[in-house]
Amino acid sequence: MNHRYTWLRQIAALAFVLLVWEAAGRFHLLNPLFVPSPSQIGAALAELFDSGRIWPHLEATFTAALGGLGIGIVVGILLGVLAALIPFIAELIEPVMTVLNAIPRVILAPLFVIWLGIGLASKVALAFILVAVLIFFTVFGGIRQVDRRLVERIITLGGTRWSLVRHVYLPSVAAWVLSNMKVAVGFAFTGACVGEFVAATRGLGYLLSFAQSTYNSALMFALIFLILVVVLAIFWIAGRLEKHLLRWN
Amino acid sequence: MTISYGGEPVLERASIAVGRGQFVSLVGPSGSGKSSLLRAVIGLQKPLAGTVETGLDPSEIGILFQDDALLPWKTARDNVALGLTFHGMARREALAQADSWLERLGLTGFGDRFPRHLSGGQRKRVALAQVLAMTPKLLLMDEPFASLDAIVRARVVQDVAALVERERISVLLVTHDLEEAISLSDYVYLLSQGPRARIIHDYPVPIPRPRDPVRARMHPDFAALYDKLWTDLSREVDREQRPEAAA
Repeated sequence: MNHRYTWLRQIAALAFVLLVWEAAGRFHLLNPLFVPSPSQIGAALAELFDSGRIWPHLEATFTAALGGLGIGIVVGILLGVLAALIPFIAELIEPVMTVLNAIPRVILAPLFVIWLGIGLASKVALAFILVAVLIFFTVFGGIRQVDRRLVERIITLGGTRWSLVRHVYLPSVAAWVLSNMKVAVGFAFTGACVGEFVAATRGLGYLLSFAQSTYNSALMFALIFLILVVVLAIFWIAGRLEKHLLRWN
Repeated sequence: MTISYGGEPVLERASIAVGRGQFVSLVGPSGSGKSSLLRAVIGLQKPLAGTVETGLDPSEIGILFQDDALLPWKTARDNVALGLTFHGMARREALAQADSWLERLGLTGFGDRFPRHLSGGQRKRVALAQVLAMTPKLLLMDEPFASLDAIVRARVVQDVAALVERERISVLLVTHDLEEAISLSDYVYLLSQGPRARIIHDYPVPIPRPRDPVRARMHPDFAALYDKLWTDLSREVDREQRPEAAA
């Protein structure tokens, strides 16, 4: 098979599935209460945008996800670097992080709601904790695995400690963080949406929970589709960024 | 100089003299502490006893390892310019010098490539340019050519020999390869089997300079010296293996 046309075959297959799905709906083979047809989902989606009522929700989810992502990356790098360089700090932080890493961190969502209220803060906190733990382990493990030969190379060329940080450690850390960027973005949106699902007044997760309580499956499918598109778009941007910044690899 | 990693010394009472512009090789079985000796000379490792007297500032000593250890996220010219900027040269000037060193090593037009996009031989040349750009008075080489295939290796070795001869750089080379040692050196030192390895012999190489290391192998004195070195080295390796054979 010609690999150049893989995407064409994939699109054709998708179109076929949608067509069968739509036909099944039209011939009343599917209960619209559970599985609305693609055209009904499309209509629900169009309505969200036409009425303009989607925008504050999109804004809320984006703010929470990107806020949690940003703070999570900064704190994750900071803790990772500190733990890698100072054994005493590693002793204290590593067990905590290992536990946080082992549990499904979204179970903290109700706790954050009690602590921080049903506003933006609890969603940022959830996105943050999901991202920070991931980045911590990326950086912590990465720094300890820095290529000794590169370190010796810098030293024998007359570099200082600062040269080591600037030319070896920072680029290494940046490379590890970037190569985990897609996972981190996914985590951030998971945190934001789950947080909104638990308790909120705005956001895509909140809308999903609303659709669930009103048995509005067309709205639910529309939202799932929307979140999918949003995350894929951000994946694409992260991918391009990674490709550019890690072009040496 | 005596070198130890804590237990029994790996290398004992080694004394090596490298004259200005001389090319000296260290040959010996694995585990005789050859690499440790080089690391001690450049200060990456402290000798247990004795001193390293080079009469040189650390910045005047360069080292080339077996793996090229270039920074993967820097282009060839940025890698070469690195050491120069460490010693306070302005970036623009350092890059200009890097380009001229890359040119001298036959890498014109490859300056903007990342190490990953260079062949093994090209990376070795970049690593060489990086060290030579620092204009060292003493160049240490730890099996620098071992990872290259035969033809590329011969070409790189020729270029290195020509450059160090012209710039009058003193060289201390560690190698397993007797032919390489003889064809390049003014003196070859033979180390005994470690631990407690010692320098057991030094051999002056009677092949005149300037010389081409590939053609030096056809010199009439080459074969005799090779035979002598090989006999002595084999005896060392056998000494190690005999107890095993008896067991």
